[in-house]
Amino acid sequence: MPGVFTIFSARAARLALLAWVSCGFGLPCLAADWQPVSAEELQMTSEPGAPKAPAIILYRQIDRDDNGPYEAVYLRIKILTEEGRKYGDVEIPYFPENESVRSIQARSIKPDGTITEFNGQIYDKSLVKGRGARYSAKTFTIPDLRVGSILEYRYRQEMDARYVFDSRWILSAELFTRHAKFSLEPYHQLAMRWSWPYGLPPGTGNPTEKRGTIYLETNNVPAFVAEEWMPPEDLLKYRVEFIYEGSENDEKEQPAYWKHFDKERFRAVGNFVDARRVMETAVAQIIAPGDAPDTKLRKLYARVQQIRNVSYERDKTAAEEKREHLKSIGDVGDVWQRGYGNGEQITWLMLALARAAGFEAEPVEVATRDVYFFDPALMNSRQLNTNVVRVKLNGADVYLDPGAAFTPFGMLPWSETAVQGLLLARDDGSWVATPLPAAAASRVACRADLLLTEADSLEGKLTVTFSGFEAMALRLDERHEDGADRKRYLEKQVEYLVPMAVDVQLRNEPDWDSSSPTLVAAFNLRIPGWAVDAGRRRLAAAALFGAPEAHLFEHPTRQYPVYFRYPHEEDDDIVISLPANLSVASLPKPQTRDLSVLAYTLSVTSHGGALHLQRRLDVNSPIVAAKFYDQVSQFYQFVRTSDEQQIVLEPADRKGKN
Amino acid sequence: MMRSVATYVAALCVVCLALAAGVAEAAEAPPWMHALVGAALPPHDDKANAIQLYSEIRFTVQPNGKMTRLERAAFLILRPDGNIWGNVRLDFDDQSRITALRGWCIPASGKDFVVKERDTIEAALPGVENGELVTDLRARVMRIPAADPGNIVGYEVEQEERPYMLDDTWELQDTVPVREAHYTLHLPAGWDYKAVWFNHGAIAPVASGPGEWSWVATNLPAVRVESHMPPWRGIAAHMVVALVPTARTTPALLTWKDVGVWEQALVRDRDAATPEIRQKVAELSAGKAAKLEQISALAAFVQKDIRYVAIELGIGGYQPHAAGDTFLHRYGDCKDKAALLHAMLGEIGVNSYYVVINTVRGNETTDTPPNLGFNHMILAIQLPPGVATPELLAFYNHPQLGKLLIFDPTDELTPLGRLSGGLQANTGLLVSPDGAELATLPQLRTDTSSINRTATLKLDEKGDLSGDVREVRVGDPASVERYDLRNAAGNDDRIKPVEVRLADSLSDFTILKASVLNLAALDQPFEWHYTLEANHYAKFAGDLMLVRPRVLGSKSSALLETREARENPIEFEGPRLDSDNFEITFPAGYEVDELPAPVDADLGFASYHSRTQAVGHTLRYTRTFEIKGLSVPVARAEELKQFYRVIWTDERRTAVLRPIAH
Repeated sequence: MPGVFTIFSARAARLALLAWVSCGFGLPCLAADWQPVSAEELQMTSEPGAPKAPAIILYRQIDRDDNGPYEAVYLRIKILTEEGRKYGDVEIPYFPENESVRSIQARSIKPDGTITEFNGQIYDKSLVKGRGARYSAKTFTIPDLRVGSILEYRYRQEMDARYVFDSRWILSAELFTRHAKFSLEPYHQLAMRWSWPYGLPPGTGNPTEKRGTIYLETNNVPAFVAEEWMPPEDLLKYRVEFIYEGSENDEKEQPAYWKHFDKERFRAVGNFVDARRVMETAVAQIIAPGDAPDTKLRKLYARVQQIRNVSYERDKTAAEEKREHLKSIGDVGDVWQRGYGNGEQITWLMLALARAAGFEAEPVEVATRDVYFFDPALMNSRQLNTNVVRVKLNGADVYLDPGAAFTPFGMLPWSETAVQGLLLARDDGSWVATPLPAAAASRVACRADLLLTEADSLEGKLTVTFSGFEAMALRLDERHEDGADRKRYLEKQVEYLVPMAVDVQLRNEPDWDSSSPTLVAAFNLRIPGWAVDAGRRRLAAAALFGAPEAHLFEHPTRQYPVYFRYPHEEDDDIVISLPANLSVASLPKPQTRDLSVLAYTLSVTSHGGALHLQRRLDVNSPIVAAKFYDQVSQFYQFVRTSDEQQIVLEPADRKGKN
Repeated sequence: MMRSVATYVAALCVVCLALAAGVAEAAEAPPWMHALVGAALPPHDDKANAIQLYSEIRFTVQPNGKMTRLERAAFLILRPDGNIWGNVRLDFDDQSRITALRGWCIPASGKDFVVKERDTIEAALPGVENGELVTDLRARVMRIPAADPGNIVGYEVEQEERPYMLDDTWELQDTVPVREAHYTLHLPAGWDYKAVWFNHGAIAPVASGPGEWSWVATNLPAVRVESHMPPWRGIAAHMVVALVPTARTTPALLTWKDVGVWEQALVRDRDAATPEIRQKVAELSAGKAAKLEQISALAAFVQKDIRYVAIELGIGGYQPHAAGDTFLHRYGDCKDKAALLHAMLGEIGVNSYYVVINTVRGNETTDTPPNLGFNHMILAIQLPPGVATPELLAFYNHPQLGKLLIFDPTDELTPLGRLSGGLQANTGLLVSPDGAELATLPQLRTDTSSINRTATLKLDEKGDLSGDVREVRVGDPASVERYDLRNAAGNDDRIKPVEVRLADSLSDFTILKASVLNLAALDQPFEWHYTLEANHYAKFAGDLMLVRPRVLGSKSSALLETREARENPIEFEGPRLDSDNFEITFPAGYEVDELPAPVDADLGFASYHSRTQAVGHTLRYTRTFEIKGLSVPVARAEELKQFYRVIWTDERRTAVLRPIAH
């Protein structure tokens, strides 16, 4: 279960990543001595919790004192296979400008207990060096490591006195961890909040605080293993987050904390959108008095999206930025009059214009779910990393984010859908939920009119309509590219859909630059060898565009949720004209599978010398819990099996003879 | 535990580059770049994202022997993706120190941008993923502002050269079309040179002053980067200039023999046995009367017990550490391993010779002039008379030294007597007592690298397929599997390679049980034995049952299914001979209606044969796939493409079964 705790210092003065005080620290000290090695550790050859693992962490200890500040690290690793010997190559990165790595000690212990102290060279490797910044690593390798050996090393990383920052304990390591201990003494001058947002390993007690220091012990933590279609890795690792807060918000209880945040943000946003006269003038230029409310709002939205959005421009060097010398933006009036702003500023411009046009509109701050799975209980306002506007239109709430490029009116970027947001209000903000569009809003629809040639190839025209998030993704990916690159990019989309080599040529000029809900691409398509001979007969698979599902969720087990990100739909409707010398011998039976979260239908019919292939696959939920993985896996197996059903064609005269 | 170095470095690079370019001063690009504005462009298509307008190298040897290399290049950006030419990376080490570096951009409109050396960053290779712990090879990275279509970006770098070998290479071509390329050589009185051309006709130099020669090339096409192509040096136009100093007052490596003598000097005293090594040799040899057994034991020790760790500083890039240290630490790189094994073999009276080689075939050929373009060291073991056995295949026949067994102690997965595909038919430098000579290593029989699958399967009335599969792998396919399983962290991971392969062929399957044979026994074939169940394997069409006899495995390839015609030869990793023998018993209520036709395709360098037969109620599918030639000329690329299509079609063919009429 997630949890959160707070330490508040009476002396907390202000939030600052860089502490203002100069704090001396003593000489480096390490954990008292090497930990004793047990006979069991020496003789073990495998770990039941990590069968076949190349190595496991027997013991890990991290003691951090932000008042030093320093971090003492101790690591003991058991090598279980030859591959595991690579953990004897150690690299400890650090920033020389602010950090030093001292007191490195290492040793290896053979299974018979023979200890070899490391007395080799420690290299100071410069990884990156540029003006004003250096990044280096202490590097060494522990000699004479064999399968069965234990290696251990420890060091102390010291930061300068003005180098205090948020830190975290990542409990899910690359290797299985048998036992680990952590401690942190927070910086005395700042308030700290700590939380374990995604729970702790089974059997692990919550972090405890004793005389101002936080402690945690844990055992048998599995190694982290990545899976396909999983939420962001970082969200799934067991960890404890430490966040320094300051006097801007030192509330201890959740309601008070968010009330305080709301008050600050409401004032800041209010100041930014406070340009009523300029906004009224702008509104008068954009809308006509007689426009219906819906028309008004759409016109405002479309006009706001025409503002130059610097958040989506090519990454520029500082020299280019300096030369361009864009003036800083103080409020929405600046955005409007100068004609540029970043994504956040442009969205607040929408808020101001909507209000000036008479709409009831409120600012909302949300956390994008491509980075965070937001939980207000954790009281981490830094996770509210973007903004949207809620507008009342004909009695209904409409959420808008025109600062997110290529977002059609009425939609939000997928990462801003189905998330909790804080609606900022003068007296007390409230939590609202952004809507989740249905699968039909984000569709890849393939319409093809093809001819089966006597050489068993398919040839003809294909139109693919990408809508919703699918269209947005294409436009975002290609926003900096030219026509030739965009053409090839779309052709690759078709190549990705078809499970065999194809010759595809884009034949239209899609609308790349608008925020239209759809992007339509028309192609000439040729698929050599679509049908394959079986003696006199010709056979072909029932699905033409099923390649994306060909290898989905084949692994029998799953640890983490399946994260589809957003509901979406595949919709194929294909007509294939047969040559005069072939006729249909048999067609696959219609297939349907509906799990509610996932749905699939397939049908193949024939009429007038042509085949009609229809296939639809709906993903109706952005995320599916791991406990339902079996059903997901079986669903996709059903899809593959159904897609592979065979259409059987035979010589036309043969049928006549029958 | 450990921080993610790559993440930190990536982030830092972004920060540093943005910061660095931030101080670019408003000054003019040099005249040589401004002269390029409006220059006529060489032929190019609409896919070219940039044009190399100009390049120039000035290699100067001063009378005191000091060498400098000035390099200039400028690119016209044609397309957004051409902005990569604004990111300049220049590698250097202690033998090629950068003394000056600048970059510029001439925008289509507005003032020029200038980037100075202090605005660049220096980067080393982060991480120790591949065992490379420390090296002095570094790079200067510069981001030139406004590398946008229509703009010209360029740079100039000067390096002080202290090469081990007195040569230089002029690479004329690039991955974009080249408009004009210059090379100028300036030598002090008494020095001479010899120029050798590769992948381009010789261009005659113009004497442009006392001791100065210049070469110019114009309108060179882009080299297209393609999968399975030869290495860059095998296809791109370049000129190697070997320098001949006055009366050889400057130490110089002019011949392959010179290189060999130099290599020998580097290893001298580094491959001597210490008492600890002798003790280990005695321990490993104890009880083994046969010399081959002793050699095998020593080879296996160095192969497995010496962990690969590279510490290459200065001459350490060429010189091994002392064998005694390598033995003591139980780690080392390829040179260290070769030197240690050399020392150990010497203790049992077996001679061995170093072979330096490039792991990518085609980088060095028998035509290559002396150079140091090698990146690997292996051993040629002189077997005592009567030791050879049929299992030992990787021999090089030396006119004086006789049969030498080639062995790579760094390759932990290829047993003594065999050679990985990349080293086969590859040319290395054999360092012999008399100096050195180029040696082309053997190409082994195709059956030394193979996958042989046999399956006995049963099809039921519902179309479900079940049965046992045995997969036997030798050579590189076995190494690949052993490597994958070596990294497997658990049982789930262990079965993944089989799952992935089956998923390419079966849509709905379960592996009921699986076992591995000879995972660690390198001298034995690697074997998978598994039992599978594939639901809905056969498809039904009316009353017909459709069964694909090729149950699993694919020999086809989409390598040549590209939009543009192939431009480069195709390089196979090694020889290959695979076979499949599948028996599928089908339900008694069915009989064969139609079977796939046999396929016989033979291109000489590759062949494919398949047969489907019916014997009673059993379908028997057999096929062989063989790669005999390792390099396919581009003229035969279309044939190879059609060859793969024939295989792909065969792999999809179906036997048609019909109910037996009663």
